[in-house]
Amino acid sequence: MLAKYVARRFLASTVVVLGVTAITLALMKTTSGSYVPGIDLNPALRPEDIARLRAQLGLDEPPQVWYATWLWNALHGDFGHSMIDGSTVTSHILDRLPNTIELTATAIVIGVVLAIPLGVIGALRRGSKTDHSLTVVSVAGFAVPQFWMGLMLILIFSVTLEQHGLPWLPSSGAFSAYNGGDVFDRLEHLILPATVLSFFYTSTWSRFIRSSMLEVLSQDYIRTARAKGMSERRVVYLHGLRNALIPLITLIGLELPGLVSGGLVVEVVFGWPGIGKLAFERALQYDYTTVMGVTFFATLLVVAGNLLADLLYGVLDPRIRYG
Amino acid sequence: MIGPSRVAELDIPAAGVETGVARPAQSYWNESWERLRENRLGVAAGVLLVVLALIAVMAPILSAVLTHFQPQTIDLDSTFARPGVGGHILGADELGRDTLTRLIWGARVSLGVAFLTVAMSLTVGTAVGMVAGYYGGWIDDVLMRFVDMVLAIPAIFLFILMSILIRPNAITLAAIVASVGWGSVARLVRGEVLSVKQRDFILATRSIGAKDSRLMLRHLLPNVLPVLIVAASLGVGQIILVEAALDFLGLGIQPPTPSWGNMLTNAQSYFFRSGWLVALPGITIFLTVLASNLFGNAVRDAFDPRLKSH
Repeated sequence: MLAKYVARRFLASTVVVLGVTAITLALMKTTSGSYVPGIDLNPALRPEDIARLRAQLGLDEPPQVWYATWLWNALHGDFGHSMIDGSTVTSHILDRLPNTIELTATAIVIGVVLAIPLGVIGALRRGSKTDHSLTVVSVAGFAVPQFWMGLMLILIFSVTLEQHGLPWLPSSGAFSAYNGGDVFDRLEHLILPATVLSFFYTSTWSRFIRSSMLEVLSQDYIRTARAKGMSERRVVYLHGLRNALIPLITLIGLELPGLVSGGLVVEVVFGWPGIGKLAFERALQYDYTTVMGVTFFATLLVVAGNLLADLLYGVLDPRIRYG
Repeated sequence: MIGPSRVAELDIPAAGVETGVARPAQSYWNESWERLRENRLGVAAGVLLVVLALIAVMAPILSAVLTHFQPQTIDLDSTFARPGVGGHILGADELGRDTLTRLIWGARVSLGVAFLTVAMSLTVGTAVGMVAGYYGGWIDDVLMRFVDMVLAIPAIFLFILMSILIRPNAITLAAIVASVGWGSVARLVRGEVLSVKQRDFILATRSIGAKDSRLMLRHLLPNVLPVLIVAASLGVGQIILVEAALDFLGLGIQPPTPSWGNMLTNAQSYFFRSGWLVALPGITIFLTVLASNLFGNAVRDAFDPRLKSH
């Protein structure tokens, strides 16, 4: 049953991945035709050189041929070379991936660690002042533009603190170019962007945990547990929380593509050398191959995240049946 | 983007509890309207949105009467003016352009694009969802797989690629954002249609010879309307955020047309000159989105009490 379900989901996912890459290519092609990135910046190039470059880069081929070739190579793990600098797309992605994971994973961990207690407190003291103020904070969390929160943090913790001669936090990059790169230096750079991202996760997830907790606590088995004389602490944490956390798994699974795209704006604001920033910069430069590679990678993560979330859901909650 | 998104989990003090007193039967719409009116926070948020919309509409009048500046007027004598200095109520930017005037004109862009996006997403999403849900079978499969595909593309990539392609103005920018937003609406509508079409009145209508188109437009559409209203009001805030982010990245509305997002694009270069330039557009976005979300929640509680969270 499960194997069949996974197989069917896998098949559907393949179609999705194919479709997404095809749409991306179609968009890139209509965007720029067979423009060779940066060609207009070099006045010394003769028309025949340009023609030769086009042929060399495969831009002359009809899109479907280009796509087929790209797909065939991609299936063999070869995403081709960047159109801007000639190094492989894989190396670009692998180069940026650790930075993105560093940022997103930190934010997700902080988000989960804060969201669980906040959600539980909100549910247990429903209607109290604490609950209301938590609600206000998370309502605000939904309404703050991430890029603006980033700018404000930079304004306060980098610019203003520095102006007053106080210790300040770096506002850009993942580490200092000069004398940097050790753990402390990286942590220092991580604080501001991770704060922005995790604020968003915390405000989202704490609401989910709160309502999921409230729902669980109204279930019959909780009443049974209380009726048996079980201590409130055991009821809440052992029976309640464990079940209330199940929906969170789905949410975190759905956040997997956020590894690539979720932090894009934050990466741009903080000059964080991650995958989102890579995709953003390369798309502006018509670097087809890099954009295709990153999109393919991102879509794989979306599909994998969805599948993983569904499967984990079943593991954690045996009542769920796959059909 | 639109739909029972994360915002759906917000918990806002809701309409008053129904009293047990007998009262005349009311239509669904009347009852929902009553519930909405009793939600004071929701009403306040709604009023704020209406005021913002009026400000946007009256931008030319306001800039003539209130601020005495045009959004593009350059005044090199008052670059980086602080609020209140040189007749600039909220200060001026690096070219001495009046911040308040630009915020007022920016409201046209942000609110206009947001409403347009919602309208487009709802139209396309409803059409697709209704056809998929009503006809079922292979039509449903094909349409829904396509929706899966659209929703699987990391939206921000799609926006970036399309913005490069189109170099958007307000209308095309709305189309770009809606090109993803319709997917979740389609899913939502399809789900509703699947359940509504099982009901007896649909069978009855069909048995007296109603055509498909009549069934869909006259009988199914009114029944999915509440879901659509809720999706629309919850979607506005999210779309304002997306639009502002695209403007900020330089992919949306292009300068010199002021928008709340593109007013922040240069902000990073002028941190040391004026913090106001960074703070003010963001506060405006924040308040608008906050009002939209609060209003959206109130609408959800009023129109679809089933969805109400605890």
